[in-house]
Amino acid sequence: MPYIEVLGQQIEVDEDGYIQDPSIWTPEIAKAMAPMEQITDLTDEHWKVINYLRDYYMKFGICPMIRKLCKDTGYTLKKIYELFPTGPAKGACKLAGAPKPTGCV
Amino acid sequence: MPLYKGMAQPVKATAEDLKKLRLIPVPEEKRVEEALKMLDNARKKFRSFVLAMESCVKCGACAEACHAYRGTRDPNNIPTNRAELIRKIYRRYFTVEGRLFGKLVGAEDLTPDVIEQWFAYFYQCTECRRCGVVCPFGIDTCEVTMAGRRILHQLGMVPKLHATTGAAMLKSGNHMALTPAGIVDTLEFLSDEIEEENGFRIDFPVDKPDSDILYIPSSADFMLNPETLKGAARFFHYIGANWTITTRMTEAGNFGYLFDQALVQKELVNRLFQEAVRLGAKKIIWGECGHGWRAIKMYYNTMADLPHRIPITHILDEAAEYVKRGLLKLDKDKNPEPTTLHDPCNYVRACGLSENMRVLIKASCADFREMEPNREKNFCCGGGSGILFDDPDMYELRIKFSVKKAEQIRATGAKVLCAPCSICKAQFHPMIEEHHLGVELYGLIDLVGRALVWD
Repeated sequence: MPYIEVLGQQIEVDEDGYIQDPSIWTPEIAKAMAPMEQITDLTDEHWKVINYLRDYYMKFGICPMIRKLCKDTGYTLKKIYELFPTGPAKGACKLAGAPKPTGCV
Repeated sequence: MPLYKGMAQPVKATAEDLKKLRLIPVPEEKRVEEALKMLDNARKKFRSFVLAMESCVKCGACAEACHAYRGTRDPNNIPTNRAELIRKIYRRYFTVEGRLFGKLVGAEDLTPDVIEQWFAYFYQCTECRRCGVVCPFGIDTCEVTMAGRRILHQLGMVPKLHATTGAAMLKSGNHMALTPAGIVDTLEFLSDEIEEENGFRIDFPVDKPDSDILYIPSSADFMLNPETLKGAARFFHYIGANWTITTRMTEAGNFGYLFDQALVQKELVNRLFQEAVRLGAKKIIWGECGHGWRAIKMYYNTMADLPHRIPITHILDEAAEYVKRGLLKLDKDKNPEPTTLHDPCNYVRACGLSENMRVLIKASCADFREMEPNREKNFCCGGGSGILFDDPDMYELRIKFSVKKAEQIRATGAKVLCAPCSICKAQFHPMIEEHHLGVELYGLIDLVGRALVWD
């Protein structure tokens, strides 16, 4: 099983870099994942999205519809892509500790 | 990754992934021996499979009919050649001439490499069955792909995407691992949107007992295709239906049908009837999903554990009936853009939906343009049978598999692409960008819902 190293600890991830156990998420894990998602520096704008997704995921057990993410954060989809070049599901939700989406995506 | 001796393959499920499907993989050194037993079983059980093994005369009519071959020019993607990957083994072990003359009659020993070849090419076939339409013998090569995938599953060789999707189904009753809380929150959000757009609110009844209609949406609609859910809600509200959505079986697709044709496929069917009975449904109405509709319409009675007498219809058949009887007032000018229809393979080559889709789109859109060819001759979107893989090698193939489709869409000059199937939609979302098509993507009930005239 692949892993990433965060503060000297090995965190298990799948082949695509999603953490295996969403409950162990910490902001440090998001920071460690950022370069893999073509993000050099996590700004306040990134954190606004990540924290929103994290809260939503903890409350509802899924990631929100992209349209809802945009509405609730006030960011356009274009802006989300600027912040997370690999996209909302593969970039933003991954950094928020959600598992890789399955099904018809 | 992942290439096996130059062949692009999907990422394979791990032993841990397979455990969630209650599957213990066959050890590698025993694969050949076990696969032969499974092949023997397949030929004894499935007449359609034997027909494909015995009847092909290699006329080649299927070659240019296949979007996968046209897009890649890989000879193994010619439908008859893809079937030959099993046929040569069948010939070697189950025919007299093959046993006696071996390679002279095109028979070949089964080896681990051949099994890897199966894994590569049976997951490059999208099970669209266009080759079956053109075959002068009526050979349905999809049956070979299905047999191949079934054997691969039993060996423990499953694409990670299919395995994790199947596991999500077993666990949560849908492919995307949607939770009841997540379903309710998403639907409330969509009710808010409808209120903003229509000026009145339409609620989505969830897990409501004593409902006449149980509506089964695709789980992907909750993530990617909100307009499809809204369209369905508008339609049900318009006709005054007593309807509901269940949080325990929220899935119009059936990935089990695409890889195991056993446990996962059955789980969905049994959950469906359990929910229909629990909620007192008198009718089940299916949402927009191609393979899932075929899996239910054509297979439910062999997959359900009990006989069932609750009628099942498709929302597009249902809505078309209302249009034909003049019971829906639709204003085409609410969909003024030039619009074309992508016929989902399973609707037109398996489920007889061709004409009803046209009844709906012509009644709802001002400028409908047929793409050519269409109906049962239509080409697959290139993502059929859930080959929505995102690793670079397989993704590259998805682009090649949709070259013909892109050409068809472009030729219509349409600005709106209607593709009433979740796999098609999931394939088109990125392919519209890859092929620079510049079209907006909708389902069909989306457009019907938008055209409704509310008095």
